[in-house]
Amino acid sequence: MKKNPVGKVIINILVILFCCIYLFPVYMVIVNAFKSRAELYENIFALPSSLTLTYFQGALKKMDFIMAFKNSLIVTIVAVLIIVVLSAMTAWMFVRSRNKLSKILYNMLILTMLIPFQTIMMPLMQEMNQFGKLFGIPFKDSLGGLIFMYVGFGAGMGVFLFHGFIKSSVPVSLEEAAIIDGCNIWQLFWRIVFPILKSITVTVIILDVIWIWNDYLLPSLTLTSIKNKTIPLAMSLFFGQYNIEWNMAMAALTFTIIPVIIFYLLCQKHIIKGVAAGAVKG
Amino acid sequence: MKIGKIVSLFLTAVLGTSMLLSGCGSKGGSDASNSEDGKATGKITIFQQKTEIYDQLKEMAAAYEEETGVEVEVWQISGDDYYQNLKTYMSSESGPTVFSLSSSTEIAEMSDYLEDIGDLGFLDKINDDLIAKSSGKTIGIPMTAEGFGLVYNKDLVSADTISSTDALVSLIQEAGTNNMTGLGLSQEAYFLIGQILNTPFALQEDPVSFCQDVYSGKVNIADVEEFKELGKVFEAIKESQKNPMEVSYDQNCGDFATGKAQMIHQGNWCYSLFSSYEVDFDMGMAPLPIAGNKSIAVGVPSVWCVNIDASDNDKQLAKDFLNWLYTSETGTDYLTNKFGFIPVVDGMVSENLDPLSSAVSDAIAEGDIIPWTFNEEWPAGIITTYLVQNAQEYFSSDMTTDAFLRALNDSFVTAANE
Amino acid sequence: MKIKKGWYALFTAPLMIMFTIIVIIPFFKGMGYSLVSWDGLAKSEKVFVGVSNYTKIFSDKQFLTSIVRTTAFTLITVVIVNVLALIFAVLVTTKLKVRNVARTMLFLPYLIGGLILGYIWQYVLGDAMSALGEMTGLTNVFFNWLVDKDMAFCAMILVSMWQMAGYMMIVYIAGLEAISDDVIEAAQVDGAGFWRTIMNIKLPLIMSSITICLFLTLSNCFKIYDVNVSLTGGGPNNATEMVSMNIFNEIFTKSHFGYGQAKAIVFFVIIALITLIQVKVTGDKEVSA
Repeated sequence: MKKNPVGKVIINILVILFCCIYLFPVYMVIVNAFKSRAELYENIFALPSSLTLTYFQGALKKMDFIMAFKNSLIVTIVAVLIIVVLSAMTAWMFVRSRNKLSKILYNMLILTMLIPFQTIMMPLMQEMNQFGKLFGIPFKDSLGGLIFMYVGFGAGMGVFLFHGFIKSSVPVSLEEAAIIDGCNIWQLFWRIVFPILKSITVTVIILDVIWIWNDYLLPSLTLTSIKNKTIPLAMSLFFGQYNIEWNMAMAALTFTIIPVIIFYLLCQKHIIKGVAAGAVKG
Repeated sequence: MKIGKIVSLFLTAVLGTSMLLSGCGSKGGSDASNSEDGKATGKITIFQQKTEIYDQLKEMAAAYEEETGVEVEVWQISGDDYYQNLKTYMSSESGPTVFSLSSSTEIAEMSDYLEDIGDLGFLDKINDDLIAKSSGKTIGIPMTAEGFGLVYNKDLVSADTISSTDALVSLIQEAGTNNMTGLGLSQEAYFLIGQILNTPFALQEDPVSFCQDVYSGKVNIADVEEFKELGKVFEAIKESQKNPMEVSYDQNCGDFATGKAQMIHQGNWCYSLFSSYEVDFDMGMAPLPIAGNKSIAVGVPSVWCVNIDASDNDKQLAKDFLNWLYTSETGTDYLTNKFGFIPVVDGMVSENLDPLSSAVSDAIAEGDIIPWTFNEEWPAGIITTYLVQNAQEYFSSDMTTDAFLRALNDSFVTAANE
Repeated sequence: MKIKKGWYALFTAPLMIMFTIIVIIPFFKGMGYSLVSWDGLAKSEKVFVGVSNYTKIFSDKQFLTSIVRTTAFTLITVVIVNVLALIFAVLVTTKLKVRNVARTMLFLPYLIGGLILGYIWQYVLGDAMSALGEMTGLTNVFFNWLVDKDMAFCAMILVSMWQMAGYMMIVYIAGLEAISDDVIEAAQVDGAGFWRTIMNIKLPLIMSSITICLFLTLSNCFKIYDVNVSLTGGGPNNATEMVSMNIFNEIFTKSHFGYGQAKAIVFFVIIALITLIQVKVTGDKEVSA
């Protein structure tokens, strides 16, 4: 491949071309955020006749975007942070102590990822209400309560991903050496093991961020007051009973996607750097 | 012991941090009391399905707080998820103070949660048929009335060419040969089959007992004249128009607004979709003329209810609020003009109704209406889980119209006996 | 390595407690509801009906068909998604100039969900397809897929594939990047070409990523709901109704909470068996450190 620069250029072009075709629906979201309903009806595939920002501005205002953005940011960051820390610890412990309990707990975590959310949402909300009363903690209509629930739901995938990676890529010999050097378990995990997990950690973060950032059903059940709305909740404003404001909804979706793209671009570097860290075993 | 302590400390720390970091949203407090200047203070929450009027509702809430000192919080949700969420809130004791319900199935199901609001003063000014009742209690006040029928383009269609089934059928066929849409339906369950199928039911002498006869198998709708005539209309649509399954609600309204469809089977709510088009013709709403029908179908899409689990104080605040909404100058201004609702209280008028809404409003005034049986009598969820599937099969296969009517009949029997 | 119980508890208890509260307890509570006849409102009467909700399932043709359909959908989609995701991942971890751009572009589809996803794709599968058909004259291939039973099912697969491939690519990238350059270089010194390197070196080394991705796609496909509701709504004539939608309708549209729960439990047992087999089979092939 190295010997043929022309071929290389062609491959590059082909890849980009493919990506563009692949992203055609995304193109449709963006161009239609500029169109009025009449123009959208006329031709949904065409470029907009004018680059009016009416619908973007309308969406920002109607959604109270800044507030929703802040709420989404808090929930996503805090929940993902807790999920990553706790599931990395749990997964490592499960891999290193292969007893019956670990096996049972691990299987439970994995199996529950298969439960359709709709079947537990009612009992969950009732339980949260009882807990709230019992302990005086506001689980409902509070971002803290929502975060707590996300940690519970995110536990399965987090542990699953870390577990797989630790089993295949973290050498026990390294850990044993550290113990001999006088590390206790806590230090061993945070100083030796966790840094090796970098690339999988970034993966878990990306997957969880995308999930939580876009999730609608769980926040719609827990958050009711205006000041707690997250972005997907605020977006539901455009979906009326008889009238869906597609242009505003698409403008809002564009706003929602951008932070995730930026975030992903920032994370990419770290996945690549993971090569060096992961090479310890080499 | 020691470890247990560490674990519990850790857990508390995690929870604490998450609560702290997130600013620990406070609970929707509702300790009402009277402040010194005599104005009532407190807070009520409102939850309803019409996302379209959310902005106006928020404005109204601000106006109400200014006038009375009572805070009104408006919750929002996308129209489709409303009832499912309401049910979950109610079941976990965190329901809103005032909310809307939209069919007798919903009202029957929720009946344990509905406060008796029969003592509201303005009820005698509302037509008794429109007020929702449950086991003798008055539990719901109509939000508005809505109506549907043939929404037609007055430049292309004159009212007397759609006064009988045969005339309607030949109009659809002729439009088809000119590559136009005669009577547009769209793919959504209610717009494809649910609402149009209401008419033959509503035309029966006693719709309630007729429904019971269908459910028990005593009558098959395929043998009833009104349904056969509707079948003819469906056949004409199937044979001479683009498959309605390929047309969305937005497209159907667009076709109408741009003159490509002469008529659509829709309700007054669709007028808001025409706003961004340059509509250069007059439109009207005509009855679906099967079996000599001369009335459009009018019903109450939703009613306001008060949560029985709210504190006594909140319930009083909620009633005060409803009273304000239906009797005060500001309140009625919001109802009729800002929300654009068709008035349901005697003596209440709206000055700027759109042409479709005024057609409905006139029909109500003249008493020239047929009821919404799908909201009152049909089994829960039948339109979205059964009827739409029958209609899709009809439009996507070579199923005969008679077989289609029989399939619909079977669906009613199955759903009613589930 | 011996680890004391205290450390074990410290590391695992916080997460497991939260997980139990949020998932396990409601799940068992839901299981309890599967034995009653109930409309889902706390104040309504719950009538104990024993296992009759379960026996009813065996005569519920629509539900049984949707199980078979969902299983078929899942098996096909899982294969396509993973093959595609792997190709994407290999492509963007090569030394291509455009790899970073491509990476970002390919994962974007996962960010578009809900009603908008259905709205956009209805146009692509309807209008764009019909236009293609008129242009090429191949009207038996290019027509509105969503009005045909079989093609609507294919449309479900196509859209799910489009959505999930980029998402799974992220996991595969992590796996591929974790392979040290030494191993690859050593192979190339030995004369292994592009394909040999992939098949003989890379694939075996990312077996754990494959296990993970297979499982995630399996569970995502089995639980598919969003795409179902927004794209086809289960139609035409129920030809694309998947299990989650069937259960959802039972619980919320028809208000048969107990029966819906029973369906959910039965379905859960079925997919749990299938996925456990998958994890066991691929898990055995993993290379352990």
